[in-house]
Amino acid sequence: MNAVDRVKEPALSDLVISAVSKSYISGAKVLDGIDLTVASGAFFTLLGPSGCGKTTLLRCIAGFLQPDGGRISIGADRIDTVPAHRRDIGMVFQDYAIFPHLTVAENVGFGLKARRMERGEIARRVAESLATVRLDGYADRLPGALSGGQQQRVGLARAMAIRPRLLLMDEPLSNLDAKLRLELREDIRDIQQRLGITTIYVTHDQEEALAVSDRICVMHGGRIEQTATPFELYRAPATRFAATFVGEMNLFPVAAGSPFAGARVGAAEAAIRPEDVVIGPCEDAIAFDGVVRKVTFLGREAQVVIDAPAGVVLLRDVRPTDQTLASAGRPVRVSLPRGRLTWFDAAGRRLA
Amino acid sequence: MTVRGFDPWRGVQWAVWVILALLLGWPLSTILIASLIGPDGAMGFANYAELLARPRYARAFGNTLLAGAGGAAGAMVLGTTLAFLVTRYRLRGRALIETLAVMALVSPPFIGAYAWIVLFGANGLVRRFVVDLGIDMPPIYGASGVILVFAFKFFPNVFLVTSVAFAQVNRSLEEAAEGLGLAPWRRLVTITFPLVLPALSAGALLAFVLSIADFGTPRLIGRNFDVLATEAFSLYTADLGSNPGLASALSLVLVGVSMVLVVLQRRLLRRDVFHGNALRRPYVVTLRGWRAILAHGIAYVIVGIGILPAVVVVVFSFRRTRGPVFQDGFGLQSYERMFHAVMDPVWNTLVFSLSATAAIVMAGTLVGYLITRRPSRSTGALDAILMIPYVVPGVVMGIGFVTAFNTPPLVLTGGGLVIVLAIFIRRLPYAARSSATALQQLSPSLEEAAISLGWSPSQAFRRVTVPLILPGIMAGGMMSFVTAMNELSSSLVLYVSSTVTMPVRIYQAVIGGDYGTASALASTLLAITAVAVYAAFRLSGRRDASFL
Repeated sequence: MNAVDRVKEPALSDLVISAVSKSYISGAKVLDGIDLTVASGAFFTLLGPSGCGKTTLLRCIAGFLQPDGGRISIGADRIDTVPAHRRDIGMVFQDYAIFPHLTVAENVGFGLKARRMERGEIARRVAESLATVRLDGYADRLPGALSGGQQQRVGLARAMAIRPRLLLMDEPLSNLDAKLRLELREDIRDIQQRLGITTIYVTHDQEEALAVSDRICVMHGGRIEQTATPFELYRAPATRFAATFVGEMNLFPVAAGSPFAGARVGAAEAAIRPEDVVIGPCEDAIAFDGVVRKVTFLGREAQVVIDAPAGVVLLRDVRPTDQTLASAGRPVRVSLPRGRLTWFDAAGRRLA
Repeated sequence: MTVRGFDPWRGVQWAVWVILALLLGWPLSTILIASLIGPDGAMGFANYAELLARPRYARAFGNTLLAGAGGAAGAMVLGTTLAFLVTRYRLRGRALIETLAVMALVSPPFIGAYAWIVLFGANGLVRRFVVDLGIDMPPIYGASGVILVFAFKFFPNVFLVTSVAFAQVNRSLEEAAEGLGLAPWRRLVTITFPLVLPALSAGALLAFVLSIADFGTPRLIGRNFDVLATEAFSLYTADLGSNPGLASALSLVLVGVSMVLVVLQRRLLRRDVFHGNALRRPYVVTLRGWRAILAHGIAYVIVGIGILPAVVVVVFSFRRTRGPVFQDGFGLQSYERMFHAVMDPVWNTLVFSLSATAAIVMAGTLVGYLITRRPSRSTGALDAILMIPYVVPGVVMGIGFVTAFNTPPLVLTGGGLVIVLAIFIRRLPYAARSSATALQQLSPSLEEAAISLGWSPSQAFRRVTVPLILPGIMAGGMMSFVTAMNELSSSLVLYVSSTVTMPVRIYQAVIGGDYGTASALASTLLAITAVAVYAAFRLSGRRDASFL
């Protein structure tokens, strides 16, 4: 394969969503003109609070909902006019949706049977898919005998067995306990990387999104706030909403008389991550005085809450000393390095 | 899921609307129109004016309310008491009590009336015995008899709903009340009772609606206690002076009473929605000494009296008879007569019920699916309209069918089909409800998973949804079969001599004083019913759900 091919080929199977909108019967807009491109082979996450439209968008891609307008295509194929069962899109569900009356192997082979594949080929593919999710040896069990984590692995194997053009995951980990969630999260990422299936992953958990995604699309109120790599999203949030939804963010109004007044033309708010706040003097920083209200020690870090005239400051100290931990009630000098500050205008958009 | 152009469920939805328009909309609108055509042929409210003017109908209206309220109150007291005893105390033979209650529920409604006559009528066994002892005891006929029969006939409805509610009251709530220092009886009144009130009122309402729709009981036992259902029937079927306009007006008043109550109950309950999250089920207390005897005594007396009519009927069916007269000793003459002379009704009943059941199960499953899985304005309206058969008594439905299907374009009267269709539309809501309940317990994503794996929506429904809700559907089907077999009121309006069913024949036999034949037929009906109920039990696993 030469270099030209490699550049051209992925583009042929990119998922392109343009101007997709959807309203409920009540008239409320769930999706308000969504435009997105997901590169072939990418792990793409739709992130947002409940009601932001992320699941609705996923269900439109799957074909379970019909958008009111716009188009969805994979490469040159327009898919929003194709019935769901002919889209060749694998889906992993929040509640696993494992067929309780079928064995694990029958579950995984269910989609292959629909494709009228011959028996031997089905058995081979089922075994292969089960091996991928490390469930070999469970083929003849009924789902009732499996744990939630195992059921979701079956769900993943079942969706992958049909070799879909696109793999959709609707909050696949939210019904699992914390430990299993981390474990399966890593597995999903590893398997996706190995097989290179274009994956769209829906979650409301920002940490999960940061951990697994190639790109994250933050949604809010039926619109896209920002689409970026996890690093960009965290470091350079495009909107106030993205900034506060992904990670924690200190926000200070820029008002006359505040330390931020006149620091940036057109700015309505200044923002800084808690780990970027410095106690004590610092070069090229906006500084002001405050009083430590509370210190919480969390093991790998300490959280310090400081009351200042400019607002409440949250600070994350990754190497706390005895002194820091005993600082409640003491006056401190707070410095916000200018290079770490982000500015938002009155509409909540970041100033370049 | 609303996928434009590809959804076979759209076709189903259209078909359902057509069926409802034909079998519900049309008959009811013909009744409405008939009620507006006066004796002189002019449109207007002449019939309603006459209803108001004639004291006879005012009395029937009052009697209807009295019978409904009395029946509901009696059923509520008996049903709630039994439910409380069964769920909160460890009673011996709990399964037996529940089975007897269900048997009392499904036994044909008029069998109760007939058995009570046999025991407490003017010549009743028990009454004669008591009178021989020199104690004065009035025969059971009249208002008190009707109410008594209703109470013991419909208490299982209240029992089944409230026992579920009693078992789901969170123990913590009662413990919290105890911790706050409330005495046991105050706890019951201020905490437990309000929590089961929604279920209780639903059960009582059902008893009320069933009571005022019941036609056989006031007819057989009421004597001069006429209610709207019997008046409508007489007006409609009177050989001379039949008055369809007045009968229709009367029918609509009856429907109106039920409707007002259903709406009222929903309105009242919408305000307080209780979530019985049964994380901690209530304690089941083991009683000792006289308390244990009392609790067992009350429980067994209630179900014992409830099942008594069925027992009486079976015993009487084996009594020796000469002609219609009972003799001393036992014999099989009644059954001989049934097999030789009145076998047609048995076949009719089986054929009609099986056809109706097949249609009910299929349509009910599809409608239940539409309501739960395709929420839209249209299916919402469908769900609301399906409430109508609940409040339209069988007599009224029968009259509607006669009026609608007696003249072209569609003439069905005189055949078996019209009887089957009447049963179908009357029982469709129950089947739709039970299939909706089964579907609500099934995640919609199962079917979506099948679709995403490449199966078309109709194949996904057949391969995934149907196998998983099949036990629920089958149990619901058994119950539809039972109610179809026991249907009296609509059939009584619609039958001709070639389409007599067992309930109709039993009714005729009782009216004609041929108690032996009535008993043999009723016992046969009971036996088939018992087998079907047993099958429903085995199929559903969960007992209560399939009966409501």
